[in-house]
Amino acid sequence: MIAEIAQAANDSLSLNPINRWVWVFPVVESIHICGFALLVGTIAVLDLRLSDLCLTRQSINRLAEVLAPWIYLGIAIQFVTGPYLFSASPHDYVHNPSFRMKMMFLAAALIFHFTVVRGTAGKTEPLAPVWRRLVAVVSMGLWIGVILGGLGIGFWAVND
Amino acid sequence: MSLHSAAQWLTDTNLSTALREDPYPYPVLGTIHVLSIALFGGMVAMGNLRVLGYAMRDVPVSQVIDQFRPWKWTGFAILAASGVVLTLSEPIDCYKSVFFWISLVLLALVGLNAWLFHSGIYRRVSEWDTSAIAPPSARRWAWLSLVLWIALVFAGRLIAFG
Repeated sequence: MIAEIAQAANDSLSLNPINRWVWVFPVVESIHICGFALLVGTIAVLDLRLSDLCLTRQSINRLAEVLAPWIYLGIAIQFVTGPYLFSASPHDYVHNPSFRMKMMFLAAALIFHFTVVRGTAGKTEPLAPVWRRLVAVVSMGLWIGVILGGLGIGFWAVND
Repeated sequence: MSLHSAAQWLTDTNLSTALREDPYPYPVLGTIHVLSIALFGGMVAMGNLRVLGYAMRDVPVSQVIDQFRPWKWTGFAILAASGVVLTLSEPIDCYKSVFFWISLVLLALVGLNAWLFHSGIYRRVSEWDTSAIAPPSARRWAWLSLVLWIALVFAGRLIAFG
């Protein structure tokens, strides 16, 4: 079914502004990178706090609360710009192994964030440092997977 | 030797060729570069948003800025180092790209902005440390910092575009 949707979208591709003007793609991609910096940057602040590596004078659950709206804003920017970049050539993206890898890491990173990271950060009695560090390392590892996948998309497209 | 011929000479070195043509350097360097954008960008964003009164209002400004400082510098050092190596992989293309030169100017402005903030209004931070929203003069620096950083991301991305 995904292939059929992609095919239908492919038929109207030339009408898409992202394919009509050469500057639209890099501009939207730049917004995507800013949104990424906001999203992963604020998550990194939380992960560093979970590891006791920064803002140690603030309580973890309060910091998680304060960072949450910025993480949501980051997600909102990414979920608008990302699918729009995808709409430039859906067929190519769904068949790009690096894109698939990025989506899998993204799903895992988001699920892990909203279950384990939030669960750990929200505790009024913080877990032992070793567990908090483990959670932070897994979280960052998953986001690094998203970045590697994202960078690989263009690389794969050129070398395919 | 002109800058153009220097860029051409760099492009023809074995190092530059290897960075450009081997399969691994680009994705690895790119990942490091983008990850440090997130690390550094997140710190810059939260610091500025605190000054502007949009985040962490119950934490003193100096606590946010001072506790982020080592990570900000770490992020900046990695960002700059990976940026230099990425430039080395395409010296002649960078030389010809107007966005590369715009990036360098913006980077200088970002540095100047941070220096002016720290040597000026931030010296008297004790007077407004616990205010939920910093005084207008400090807020102007914070806005400028956010705008310059966003512009730098755009210029940096557009280097590959033309």
